[in-house]
Amino acid sequence: MLRYIAARLGQTVLIVLAVSVIVFVMTRLLPGGSAEAILGNRASPAAIAAFNRAHGLNLPIPLQYGRYLLALLHGDFGYSYKLGQPVATLIATRMPKTIFLSGVSLAIAVVISIPLGIFQAIRQSKPIDTLLTAGEFVVYSMPAFWLAIILILVFAVHLSLLPSEAPQSDSLAQILADPRALVLPIVVTTIGTVAALSRYMRSSAIENLAKEYVRTARAKGLLEWTVLFRHMARNAVIPLVTLVGLSVPALVSGSVIVETIFNFPGIGLLYDTAASDRDYPVLLAIVLVASVATALGSLLADVMYVVVNPQVRYGTKE
Amino acid sequence: MSLLEVRNLKTQIRLRHETVRAVDGVSFTVNAGETVGLVGESGCGKSMTGNSIMRLLPRGGQITQGEIIFDGRDLVGLSNAEMRKIRGNEIGMVFQDPMTSLNPSMTIGRQISEALVRHQKLGRKEALVRAAEVLALVKVPRPSERINDYPHQLSGGLRQRVMIAMALACEPKILIADEPTTALDVTIQAQILNLLDDLKDRLQMAVILITHDLGVIAGRADRTLVMYGGRIVEEAATTELFSKMRHPYTEALLASIPQVNQDPSQLLYSIPGRPPELSNPPTGCRFAPRCRYAQDQCRNEDPVLGGDNPQHPYACFFPTSTDVDQLRETSALYQASDTPGGSVTGSEPPRLRDSVRATNPSTLISLRSVSKEFSVASGSLRQRKTATLKAVTDLNLDIRTGETFGLVGESGCGKTTIGQMMVALQRPTTGEISFDGQDLSQLHGSELRRVRSDLQIMFQDPYSSLDPRMRVGAIISEPLLVQGRGSTRDRERWTSELLDEVGLSKNAIDRFPHEFSGGQRQRIGLARALSLSPRFIVADEPVSALDVSMRSQILNLMKRLQGEHGLTYLIISHDLSVIRYMADRIGVMYLGQLVEIGNGADIYERSAHPYTAGLLEAIPVPNPEVERRKRGGGISGELPSPLDPPSGCRFRTRCPRARDLCALEVPPMQRFGAEHLAACHFPLQTPVTINQR
Repeated sequence: MLRYIAARLGQTVLIVLAVSVIVFVMTRLLPGGSAEAILGNRASPAAIAAFNRAHGLNLPIPLQYGRYLLALLHGDFGYSYKLGQPVATLIATRMPKTIFLSGVSLAIAVVISIPLGIFQAIRQSKPIDTLLTAGEFVVYSMPAFWLAIILILVFAVHLSLLPSEAPQSDSLAQILADPRALVLPIVVTTIGTVAALSRYMRSSAIENLAKEYVRTARAKGLLEWTVLFRHMARNAVIPLVTLVGLSVPALVSGSVIVETIFNFPGIGLLYDTAASDRDYPVLLAIVLVASVATALGSLLADVMYVVVNPQVRYGTKE
Repeated sequence: MSLLEVRNLKTQIRLRHETVRAVDGVSFTVNAGETVGLVGESGCGKSMTGNSIMRLLPRGGQITQGEIIFDGRDLVGLSNAEMRKIRGNEIGMVFQDPMTSLNPSMTIGRQISEALVRHQKLGRKEALVRAAEVLALVKVPRPSERINDYPHQLSGGLRQRVMIAMALACEPKILIADEPTTALDVTIQAQILNLLDDLKDRLQMAVILITHDLGVIAGRADRTLVMYGGRIVEEAATTELFSKMRHPYTEALLASIPQVNQDPSQLLYSIPGRPPELSNPPTGCRFAPRCRYAQDQCRNEDPVLGGDNPQHPYACFFPTSTDVDQLRETSALYQASDTPGGSVTGSEPPRLRDSVRATNPSTLISLRSVSKEFSVASGSLRQRKTATLKAVTDLNLDIRTGETFGLVGESGCGKTTIGQMMVALQRPTTGEISFDGQDLSQLHGSELRRVRSDLQIMFQDPYSSLDPRMRVGAIISEPLLVQGRGSTRDRERWTSELLDEVGLSKNAIDRFPHEFSGGQRQRIGLARALSLSPRFIVADEPVSALDVSMRSQILNLMKRLQGEHGLTYLIISHDLSVIRYMADRIGVMYLGQLVEIGNGADIYERSAHPYTAGLLEAIPVPNPEVERRKRGGGISGELPSPLDPPSGCRFRTRCPRARDLCALEVPPMQRFGAEHLAACHFPLQTPVTINQR
């Protein structure tokens, strides 16, 4: 198991390196350099040349990449052209906020989806199940930005119950100081996930309810609650674990759309501004962090699968 | 007063478009300490009767009428909460398939102790200690270690013991055993049935034994109820039922089982047609459409359970009094309607081929020192190659043109692997398989494809071996298309001829496999195997998935086609009576090796290998007197792992005759008769010449 994890971590390093090469080269090849974006359209060619020289953008691309990689190995992600701060600092102040927002949403989504899926499974094809299924599909097919705007209209503009914008602060503590402002971003992020996860949970539960071990459990005279949660749910959540593991990257990269709409100062918003400003060091760093998270997330999903599934955990004895 | 009394029980299952009357007015009693057998084909309502007593009905299932008086209370009237206090506590239940009936993600100790925590209010630790005691009771070795195992770590036999332990943990008054041994090998079946008998005496409980196997019923049940079409059609003490059956269905059921002493040149008795659909049962007697005694009265009036002997009621207007053996001998007379719905040509009695042994001794297919090994991946995440599974080891075998060779053995002994190697679906790791002089393992590409048209296979499971999205016509003609035989019109003509030959109507061409019953699908599988006019057909458990009445139809069909087409068969089965009836010569396999080869009489009457003898001992025979005499026989223990087979003779770990020599030396094949070979150091017979292969 340990050796397997070590091998997978090795693979992760290679994948991240490959991603960094591709993204680095792409940012350099895109038309319209950073200099124009930062200095403005009317900057003189001399000023642009000076900017490029100062940031090493006039060097051949392989050399630029080599320097970038060397700095990266020393923990230096570079310097934001636009914001005038080290990229590492930018990410470090924004990351906790994004992790908080997506983490809480994912946790709430899991806590809602599992019982919801089971409930629909036991009421399979009854009116309430059909109704919930319809609702889930509506929510699932609704774009997040549209849902966000509707919620802002209803709760912020018309009812004035909740603020439409997150507090602007560098520390997570200050953001938590105003929980009301977090409600709408969390709701928007959670709702889509619930729609997807509960569908999976419902079909997994239906499949497991038909299995014979459930009948065996009932034949023991167990309470229906015990049959459902101790026996059926335990087996039915196994496929869900992989799904949750695969949503780990979203925890760190955040949702560009939700963060932008609610002006939530997380990684997603940072990515959005960095992209429009052609702030390449920031862009590159976020892509790298996301790729690390993706690789680790799928590793986590595989490890969790083993942990919850004794058939994989213990080999067959003779 | 009896312990359980079921009165006029009716259970219905409401489906989307129809209502299935699964149990339709069933009444019976069970006395304390008694074993009552419930026997019938699938879909006759026997399982649903058991499930109704437990109120474990499928979606849409409901008891609509009747009473189930248990210990003075009517279970039908109880609330769900009250019923839960009875289930697992006063009535226990064991299901058919121990592979799927246990929760895969919970330790077996926990699964057993649950019932104790629930009903006897034990603490979790106490309950686990008790669980280990119950495991010891069902003879699971090292119970206190085993309680921490997960189900997948145990063999099928051990899992069924765990199931029984679970059902018996609270010492119920009645145990309902629903096909408790159907999914197990014969040797394990005998062990489990003996265990159930033993526990029944020890715990003083009553047992309702539900099974389709008359052999199982014969040895174990005190009283037997025969079910057909959701009703009980006959009830009697087991010995009386087997000797003096009155209902034609009981008679037909018994007659259609091949007996070990069956004359192979005679066709088997078979019940035409198939059981009624319980959503729309026929009027009158439900067996009438398949009954050879049926008259107009049977088709119009419904016979009720009755008769002159209250101890032996039956539901029939024209009860039989035929002797079963007599029926079996004259069975060829009733073969005119062998194939239901089909257009079997003429009414002349089908001729069976004579034994080909003497006339044509040429070898069609021969295996020389054939071994097959598989690498087994294990480890929790990365699949690493860790072990070698020796499926077949150093096997020599010749099959002659026109004969039927039967291969028997427990599951996992390598018989399927041999069958697949013979039709070139797998290649041997070492050794040579030659078909008609060509080495199959050396053939590739177009040469191999050409040979394949001579080698065909018929699979066990008629449900999963036909592509559900292909029409029957396409399934049967595909081999012709692949081999580029004939024009489209030729193929169509051949396909309808083939359907006719296997007893299916021509309109089957445009239908899909799911529209057919198991027996009909097996006919389609046979038609597909026949389409290229092969010379050799491997039939891998051809009737194991079928009901008794369907079995005899398929076996008769196979025999008839062999005669007409000059086919050579390899029939693989775990069922020794099927093999005995079908095969000219028989090979007994154990853990990848042939331990004995001989003709039917050699194997069944003069078996030389202790494994063969044990296997024969373990088959349940539908004859109460024979069954009752052989208590405790059979083979103990379970099949060792083929990853690490025992040294010397592989059977020695389970052999009552094993001595030191058996662990040291591999026993050579010795000759016991003209065609009778066995590999044993201490055989049950005296060899003719010593150590001559």
